[in-house]
Amino acid sequence: MSRPVTMPLVILAIASLIAMVLSVGIGSVSMTPAEVGAVIFGEGSSLQQTLVLDLRLPRTLAAFATGGLLAVAGALMQVLLRNPLADPYVLGLSGGAAVGALLAMLAGLGGLIVSGSAFAGAMLATLMVFGLAHGTGSWTPSRLLLTGVVVAAGWGAVITLMLAVSPAQRLPGMLYWLMGDVSYARSPWPALVLLFLVCLLLVPLGRSLNVLARGPMQAAALGVSVRPLEWMIYILASLLTATAVTMAGSIGFVGLVVPHMLRLVLGNDQRLILPACALAGGTLLVLADTLARVVIAPEQLPVGVITALLGVPTFLYLLYRSR
Amino acid sequence: MRYLAARLLTVFLAALPAAWHIPLQAAQVCATDDTGKEVCLERPASRIAALSPGATELVWAAGAGDKVVAVVSFSDYPEEAKDVPSVGSHTRMDLERLMELQPDLVIGWVTGNPPEQIEALRDLGLPVFSIEPRSFEGVSHTIERLSQLAGTEAEGFAEAARFREGIGSLERQYRNAEPVSVFYQVWDEPLMTVNNEHLIGKVITLCGGVNVFGDLDRLVPRISAEAVIGANPEAILAGGMGEENRHWLTRWEAFPSIDATASDNLYFVPPSLIQRPTPRMLQGSQLFCEKLDDARAKR
Repeated sequence: MSRPVTMPLVILAIASLIAMVLSVGIGSVSMTPAEVGAVIFGEGSSLQQTLVLDLRLPRTLAAFATGGLLAVAGALMQVLLRNPLADPYVLGLSGGAAVGALLAMLAGLGGLIVSGSAFAGAMLATLMVFGLAHGTGSWTPSRLLLTGVVVAAGWGAVITLMLAVSPAQRLPGMLYWLMGDVSYARSPWPALVLLFLVCLLLVPLGRSLNVLARGPMQAAALGVSVRPLEWMIYILASLLTATAVTMAGSIGFVGLVVPHMLRLVLGNDQRLILPACALAGGTLLVLADTLARVVIAPEQLPVGVITALLGVPTFLYLLYRSR
Repeated sequence: MRYLAARLLTVFLAALPAAWHIPLQAAQVCATDDTGKEVCLERPASRIAALSPGATELVWAAGAGDKVVAVVSFSDYPEEAKDVPSVGSHTRMDLERLMELQPDLVIGWVTGNPPEQIEALRDLGLPVFSIEPRSFEGVSHTIERLSQLAGTEAEGFAEAARFREGIGSLERQYRNAEPVSVFYQVWDEPLMTVNNEHLIGKVITLCGGVNVFGDLDRLVPRISAEAVIGANPEAILAGGMGEENRHWLTRWEAFPSIDATASDNLYFVPPSLIQRPTPRMLQGSQLFCEKLDDARAKR
């Protein structure tokens, strides 16, 4: 790649590294940077080791992976649907995942089962939207979008129904899940590996995606096999979103705002935007989660609140400045 | 792995003197929690984290209040509990702060704490004893078990016995009392009550009351005002978040067709005395029974 393409990525990579260092260094228990450093190199008290290695580090990595997955999924959805409002959740994915997760919570189950149930719900929602949008007619972005939006509204009703009939003591957990909360995350590694693999996979496809973003006719005319590409984007974006939702509940806004922010600054070249989304989305969520942990500690906030509070003004500012 | 090795070593070292000197000074203590899990400690707990306001009260009742190092929000009883560091809300704890306080026993709340956080605490090597008393005997039994884990059996068993006797004497007193149909209002908007399985439902039965919504399936059913008017209770009792909520009761004054309104049997019972499964329920139950006596006297 040429220099102007790699430069922003290097800057973003440095930014995400700084965010991760901050996130590991800051917590409700104060530790000096020297102490944190010592722990990283295998020193420090056993309490400090527990805090940094068992609590902060996995959570930071999970936040990064989740943010990256959501942002890449958002960028892909926007290319696929050629609609600036598309985000990973617009097709009812988070709704399906939420219904799965809340059902597990309603049954009094926790941990792995909630995650698994959320993943199953997200995949079911994907298949449903895809099957219905396919229908008997042609498969167009607007048809897909409309199907997704209506299915999402249906999930919304089911979620409200479940909240209304669930016992009071289960409500807080459910609400936290719906607002998104990284403290649900277990091992961050599968998501990180997936994020990395998808970025690698998308590099050779960047050119085709650029053409597709301009419209399927043009893409077809330029020799891109549109249908398989669209299918692949859809499945990939669904998989990314489902993984992210499984990690941390439904965190809104990252998938919508991060790709747009980057496009306003870097232009609309998918070869650059997609890896940049992975880095910037991860950075945003790491910072947001750090704030969620410490702003009113020991009370903990759902990270979804912070991503929206950070994302909205930044986005509006960039949008305002762009014209 | 290192924790495990260290722990095994400690157990081994602790077992060594047993070979020569009997009895063992630091004896292992065990108790089974309300999820059926047996929790064993090498020695009685000395630093306890109580992850619900009710658990805090119960640990104090067990005589181990001075060993509590961490509580959650709204742990407002006894007064000393307010001075203990909080680790956030029971629905979302600050695990980092909790670890910093280095508890050697965590008292969880079966349905109140998020399962994944409890799991995380266990993964970090902390013994978690989850409780949720669902009956008067459950309250006594929980106090006893907590005192065993904290090594304060003398205080704990005495307090458990006091509670057991107090409830027993109310039971004897009201066994043959004339039934009074009761509506207990947990919340105002939405209107919520309890069924007979709920501990408050058991207080109603204890006092010779008949819960008009006792047979509903859900523990805390949401109902309509119409259902209350239709059930026509002879007494209406309300709790709530604060002690000053007469307006919850005044809403019923608009319906003189309800027996409770006609006889002016609209009573307030301080929720803090009745809505937590702790020894204070004895006082709350006595108060509750007095209100029903008052209703009987108006016949």
